[in-house]
Amino acid sequence: MITTRPASIARRLAGALALAAAAALPAAAWAAEAAQSLKLQVNGMVCSFCAQGIEKRLKALPAAGPIFIDLRNKVVAVEPLPGQVLDAQKVASEVREAGYEVVATETVAQTVAQIRAETRAARQGR
Amino acid sequence: MTDSSRPGALRRGTAAALRGALCGALFATTPAAFALPMASEGSWMTMADFNSGGERDIAANHAVTGRDAFGVMATRWKEPVLHGGVHAQHHERESAGLTYTRLVHRWNLPHAQANLWFVGSAGRARGHGWAGERSFWSPAVMADYETTRLYLGAGLEPKRGSGLRHDTAWVRAGFSFYEVDYEQVQPWFIVESKRVRYAGTTRDEVTPLLRLIHRGLFVELGRNREGTQFNLMWAY
Repeated sequence: MITTRPASIARRLAGALALAAAAALPAAAWAAEAAQSLKLQVNGMVCSFCAQGIEKRLKALPAAGPIFIDLRNKVVAVEPLPGQVLDAQKVASEVREAGYEVVATETVAQTVAQIRAETRAARQGR
Repeated sequence: MTDSSRPGALRRGTAAALRGALCGALFATTPAAFALPMASEGSWMTMADFNSGGERDIAANHAVTGRDAFGVMATRWKEPVLHGGVHAQHHERESAGLTYTRLVHRWNLPHAQANLWFVGSAGRARGHGWAGERSFWSPAVMADYETTRLYLGAGLEPKRGSGLRHDTAWVRAGFSFYEVDYEQVQPWFIVESKRVRYAGTTRDEVTPLLRLIHRGLFVELGRNREGTQFNLMWAY
């Protein structure tokens, strides 16, 4: 007859939990570090003068890091500086103050560099 | 010609205003010549327009809000004089003054932008055949429609004063050769048709222009019967 003592079960359970936690750690750390960029769809942004005005206002935001402006698709992407959080409403408000209409805002788990690369790749693939 | 109409006879105050307006340059630009006559809030816009056969302008303005800009401008132009039905000679004219630019309305469309502008200016003018300086005022209106590939614009700029009539009406249309990223230089082909009405005569110009835009820098180069046309605009 095989008997299992409570102490042994507890030890095995603790070991399994530790293993699961260790396996989950890198994923959790990655999620914490993954950039949360803001992407805005902007009506009326058709020229580099328009883009320059928007870029100037967004650069003045303390939490704003890299910015990507896609004139063809009328998209503005902003990435927060490390350790900072961007206020989506504030960013949209700055674009409106620059004289343009924001029709959509979304948060994406991408850096601005990734958005830029993805946009260019999509263009070349056409 | 009277003494007071000679360039050296400008009153000291006006001369100082002219020097300030010119900012060290010799000539300036007509705000009506450009797609956007003012930059974004808190920014400066400097414009220069050189036409070897006609008008030369320089202007600068500062946007105090997203819709309002105040600035200075100076213009030098040659006014044709009719003798026996032909433009046998011309009178040199100069003006300098203050400007107020207002974005009256902007339409933000999914793939386009349209604007209605008001540009008011007032100042002093002088020139051949005039006894001294005279005041002028100019309420200009202009409209534009632009996509990333297409540009259409029109404007009316009457400049009036005692014995002065210098009304400019223009239309512009053009296209970009291809779409570009914001970081790249975008080339455009533009055709401008302009009619200038003076007190005694009218002058028409049709000018094909190559336009290059890179971020806040805008350059146009063209040629018409009057000579070479060069426009520069810089927003910063």
